[in-house]
Amino acid sequence: MNTSLTGWSGWLLYAFAAAMMIFILTPILLVMVISFSDGYFVSFPPAGFTLDWYSKVLGNPEFIDALLFSTLLSLGTTLLSLLLGIPAAFALVRGNLPFADLCKGLLLSPLIFPVLITGLALLQLFTGYGWGNARLNLLLAHTVVTSPYVVRTVLTSLELVNPTLEEAARTLGATRWATFHQVILPQIAPGVVSGAIFCFMVSFDNYPVSMWLADSENTPVPVVLYRQIGTVFDPSVAAMSTLIILLATIVVVLLEKLVGLRRAMAA
Amino acid sequence: MAEISAPLPRSRMAKRWQSPALLIVPLLAFQLFFFFAPAIRLMLFSLMTQTPQGDIGAPWTFSHYLHFFSVALYSDILWNTLRISLITALIAAVLAYPVAAVLVRGNALISRILTLVIIAPLAVSVVVRAYGWQLILNNGSTGLLNYLLLHLGLVDRPNALMFTEWAVVIGSLHIFFPMMVLPLASALGKIDPALPFAARTLGAPPWQVFFRITLPLTLPGLAAGMTLVFSLAAGSYVIPALTGGPRAQMLGNLVEQQIVAVYDWPFGATIATILVVIVIAVNTLSMKLLGGSRLPGAGK
Repeated sequence: MNTSLTGWSGWLLYAFAAAMMIFILTPILLVMVISFSDGYFVSFPPAGFTLDWYSKVLGNPEFIDALLFSTLLSLGTTLLSLLLGIPAAFALVRGNLPFADLCKGLLLSPLIFPVLITGLALLQLFTGYGWGNARLNLLLAHTVVTSPYVVRTVLTSLELVNPTLEEAARTLGATRWATFHQVILPQIAPGVVSGAIFCFMVSFDNYPVSMWLADSENTPVPVVLYRQIGTVFDPSVAAMSTLIILLATIVVVLLEKLVGLRRAMAA
Repeated sequence: MAEISAPLPRSRMAKRWQSPALLIVPLLAFQLFFFFAPAIRLMLFSLMTQTPQGDIGAPWTFSHYLHFFSVALYSDILWNTLRISLITALIAAVLAYPVAAVLVRGNALISRILTLVIIAPLAVSVVVRAYGWQLILNNGSTGLLNYLLLHLGLVDRPNALMFTEWAVVIGSLHIFFPMMVLPLASALGKIDPALPFAARTLGAPPWQVFFRITLPLTLPGLAAGMTLVFSLAAGSYVIPALTGGPRAQMLGNLVEQQIVAVYDWPFGATIATILVVIVIAVNTLSMKLLGGSRLPGAGK
């Protein structure tokens, strides 16, 4: 493949790509560097080295509670999105739906709709019905936003599955469930896994929906962090951010190991 | 499906109920109830009146829209939003071509590292990344960029970098760049390498190869990416709130302010509707231009 990137124009492209990598990585690495700074205010260059901000953050019950809450919320959102999304993707590919394209467009449309407005519309819905359970409201709202990712990744995997295998399984006497479980699921596993990881990531990182629906007892991590950025000016905010970056790194490594980044993003 | 009303023979009925088409019902019902209905209801609020007691209902009115377009502050924010999103999409497109070229045709190891660097930050919350840009663009001498500029002797006092429109553009570029590169790289990967090679062999200079072969053949990817970046940037809240400040607000910030601070639901709904109309219009236009029936979010 590396036929066209030779000579000075090739080096120019590589240099440009390197500059873009610096642009992308600098804000993230800087946050990590500042989190070790031994000064009362965030500043560059960092003043000395300390781990105090980490002990402050890990001893902050607000942050720990948010971390726990966000993890549970994202897991719940992922589960609900898979439960709703996998069957829907299956129906789109195998269902001979009369308006398959329209249905697909409808199910994927939350992806292009401004997420902030999705959150506001749901705030209006929930207050209108007097639904005061912030946990349930957040779970439902996050699922609205994340389920399209499952539909899209599973759809892409399913389109690659040969339907004659399912027919063979059915002809040989397998039940519908056995066919799904033993024939289809193993083949669409990469799509399911990347869909699940996208759901977890999008839910865990979400701010514009959660900002409308969180209450004082059920606050996801990004909402706590946003509040801290406006009120706290010491490097503890950077330490908090670094912990979130570490979590994100784990998720990315998981995605790369299980599916491969290229393949996951192609969906 | 749902419109079946005439009784069917039992076996055919059973077959209908086992059809995989029905598996779409749970998610479709969920989205109708929790996405489409609330979104439409919110937009209808923009045509209603709110009493001083906070009750919202008749009479129906168009006055909130007239109010929006007659107050200079609001139209300024609308123009800010359109300008910031368009500039972000344009810069993203220009920056994305060389990066996509390295991704598709570059050395395998470099291409792998580049993929990782582009995709991995997607997993980091926008709030964290906006905070990172605050640390870089800080207006004092302790911001990374001002520190470097001062110490390299390029300026003699710190510049105001934060709370400007450019800060919002830079932050948005950082967040939405992958949405431009990935569709573009996918379009670029489909070009037969023999085509540009033949053009070069026949004596076409590189810029001509780009404008007459690469650009036309990657137009679908370019349009999909730009539409996505524009739509997402237009609807952003966190980046303008944390890096733009009061001087570079966008429609999303205005919505939040109207709902949370002013508690004016119909006017907040009006601004939300304007934002949604812009996003839908841009997406429809791009679909029409490409002649396809797919939603831009709907595929590669």
